[in-house]
Amino acid sequence: MLITLFVFPGFGFLVTCALLFEWIDRRTIARLQARVGPPWFQPLADLLKLLSKESVLPRQADRPICRALPVVALAAVLTAALYVPVGGRVIYAFEGDLIVVLFLLSLPALFYFLAGWVSGGVYSILGGSRSVLQYFSYEVPFLMALSAPAILTGSWSISEIITQQAEASWMIFVQPVGFLLAVVGLIGKLKRVPFDIPKAKSEVVGGPLTEFSGRKLALWRLGVHIQTVAGVFLLVNVFLGGGDLTLVQGSMPLGLARAVTFGVKALAMLLTLSVTSVLYARLRIDQLASLGWRVLAPLGLVQLAATILMGIS
Amino acid sequence: METKALLEAFREACPGHSFDAHAMPVDETVIEVPAACLEDVVDALRSTFSVYHLSTITGQDRGTQLELLYHFWHGQGITLQVTLPREDPCVPTLTGAIPGADFYEREVGEMLGVTFEGHPGPQHLLLPEDWESEPPLRKQRPAEEGDT
Amino acid sequence: MTRITIPVGPQHPLLKEPLSVRLTAEGERVVEAAMRIGYVHRGIERLTEERSYVQNLHLLERVCGICSHVHTTTYCQGVEALLELDVPPRGLMLRTLLCELERIHSHLLWLGVLAENIGYTTIFMYSWRDREIVLDVMENLSGGRIAHAVNVIGGVRIDLEPEQVDAIRRRLDQLQEQVDDLRDVVEHESTLRARTKGVGGASLEQVRRHCAVGPLARAAGLDRDVRRDAPYAAYDRLSFEVVTEAGGDVWAATRVRVLEVFESLSLCHQILDNLPSGEVSTRAPRRVPEGEIVSRAEAPRGEVVYYIRSDGSDKPARIKIRTPTLPALSLVREQLRDINIADVPPVISGIDLCIACADR
Repeated sequence: MLITLFVFPGFGFLVTCALLFEWIDRRTIARLQARVGPPWFQPLADLLKLLSKESVLPRQADRPICRALPVVALAAVLTAALYVPVGGRVIYAFEGDLIVVLFLLSLPALFYFLAGWVSGGVYSILGGSRSVLQYFSYEVPFLMALSAPAILTGSWSISEIITQQAEASWMIFVQPVGFLLAVVGLIGKLKRVPFDIPKAKSEVVGGPLTEFSGRKLALWRLGVHIQTVAGVFLLVNVFLGGGDLTLVQGSMPLGLARAVTFGVKALAMLLTLSVTSVLYARLRIDQLASLGWRVLAPLGLVQLAATILMGIS
Repeated sequence: METKALLEAFREACPGHSFDAHAMPVDETVIEVPAACLEDVVDALRSTFSVYHLSTITGQDRGTQLELLYHFWHGQGITLQVTLPREDPCVPTLTGAIPGADFYEREVGEMLGVTFEGHPGPQHLLLPEDWESEPPLRKQRPAEEGDT
Repeated sequence: MTRITIPVGPQHPLLKEPLSVRLTAEGERVVEAAMRIGYVHRGIERLTEERSYVQNLHLLERVCGICSHVHTTTYCQGVEALLELDVPPRGLMLRTLLCELERIHSHLLWLGVLAENIGYTTIFMYSWRDREIVLDVMENLSGGRIAHAVNVIGGVRIDLEPEQVDAIRRRLDQLQEQVDDLRDVVEHESTLRARTKGVGGASLEQVRRHCAVGPLARAAGLDRDVRRDAPYAAYDRLSFEVVTEAGGDVWAATRVRVLEVFESLSLCHQILDNLPSGEVSTRAPRRVPEGEIVSRAEAPRGEVVYYIRSDGSDKPARIKIRTPTLPALSLVREQLRDINIADVPPVISGIDLCIACADR
């Protein structure tokens, strides 16, 4: 049990994945931008460096809360990731774990805003208020997109959704609009370009995390990368069939085959995220809000309506 | 624009004063304007000749007196030369008609100690707020020290 | 609604040089902007009075890093006119060549900075990669990427072999292809347009009142370019179009600058195809006869003006420099009122700041 929790597919595995995903992301973006990109150990080096640096907070910051927030945010995403199956293996699975995961994955946005609010300083507060506005713009379509598969399969358990995809077909083919909304929502959740508005360097310097440094910043960044891992895994499970072996035949042992399939799908998902980061400029918060409520939310409603009709018929 | 036409218009705008002109390379006409006439002359330039573009205002210390040069440009260069006394130099501001003169006047003001009457915000442009010494472009050194 | 003061500068990720803009914002809306410059004031005008004309050449090159050559060009042609020197045609053409190369490199640099400030890091990387081509050419010509030290009073100090001319032509052709791709992005990419179109517009009237110059003024429709209206160096022998747009917003300014790169490339090719033979400089005496002159040139950011007065010795009596960023800063104070906070980076980047030039 302990090994599962701390090594695989628990915390150890998740942290390693987080660093690996960060490296793949940075390297891909660099190569697409005609640069070389960092070596494989860069994310680990950055983490260790930040952990060893001095942590300074402004006088008006609320010290205990600032110290607690990175830890709590990290805890939330780690817990969420525990319920997300990896290549068919999951630590806990139960009916309704999809809702738990979605809830836990939406907590970091709240902590992010709080971090801006309590750490004082103009840039932090500005970034924090933007992050709340952004949250409402992407979260609703995201939740709608991820609820549709659950409604279709009649189950709120991720493992059940995977099993049903193996029997029928991947959700991405059945609900392509939902998949698109989920990807866009994930980009907003992870605050990647074009939705990195709360931490827009040229406008609000660092956003809510401007005043965080040293160990606190290290834990925040680790939390963001683990959130990336959890988000990618979640989407792979819900839309791409998880560890389903539809495309893989051969003489590999079952567990390994599932792991490889899952890995390939996760990589594809991650590369999609990286490529979209390269293609666009950052939007303004009012443009994002407009996009969210005029385009994404209606599409989400359409997807939900279609799902319900499909379920009925 | 003919120099004669310019001088005519200036004499009309500010009667009772004489205006002298000479040429400067390259394609530049310099007209001496008394400080009191400056606003009227600039008005004439703008309304009669459509000269809007003020390139800059040069201020220099000529030893016995200060000299301001207003460099305009409209197909050719027109420079208005205003001479001011070293003690308490004052000249009306152009910022009402040409808001772009704001920065130029502030700079001349701080570098030469010239007062621009009516300027909306004559703080230092380039020098620090707590600059206590003499205006930097005034000639303070005695003439015998071997320089020009 | 409560008002908050957002300090932009003197240190800020948005700015490459120190400038202080204090924005007062209500929510996401800027209500007031207070500007302060002078953080890099080095007193250059005063320093020129203590140095000989030749020493000033080195000093004035360093007024600005991006437009160093045009500063010495304006200075040299002013002093040459006072000396009544005739610079040989080959020298003038080479001087002009470097002016245009500098314009290209400055506009590409600006495009990258604008893209970076609106979160479009990809275009920043691409335009600066393309800028490396120009910097390599300039290094090949003069030995320096940024500080070329090409001008001397009386001409230039470099010369070109025919093989160099061919090599430069090839590199410029390569650059043309790559900038074509950039132009495609600028004209068609939706998020770039969304962030720059309609942002920070300036009317022709505002431009006139603040005496703004350069691509910023041409983006609002002001049809003025010193290269055409008061030709200097070799521009009377070359043909090019002056690019203007309407609206004065950041998108118009972007279009003007990108299209100007193509005009500059065409000018470079004209120069390389028609290089006259002969000397590249004439001997200049050390003492400059008494006189004064106003010398103008078109820097990448607009009209740069030098007033030079000489008193017959080997040191100038007064040099006054007015760089194009100064009126742009005057104009941007108006553009910064009543806009979104998110629009502040494109507006400030759109005027192509060169604070070192403005402060001297």
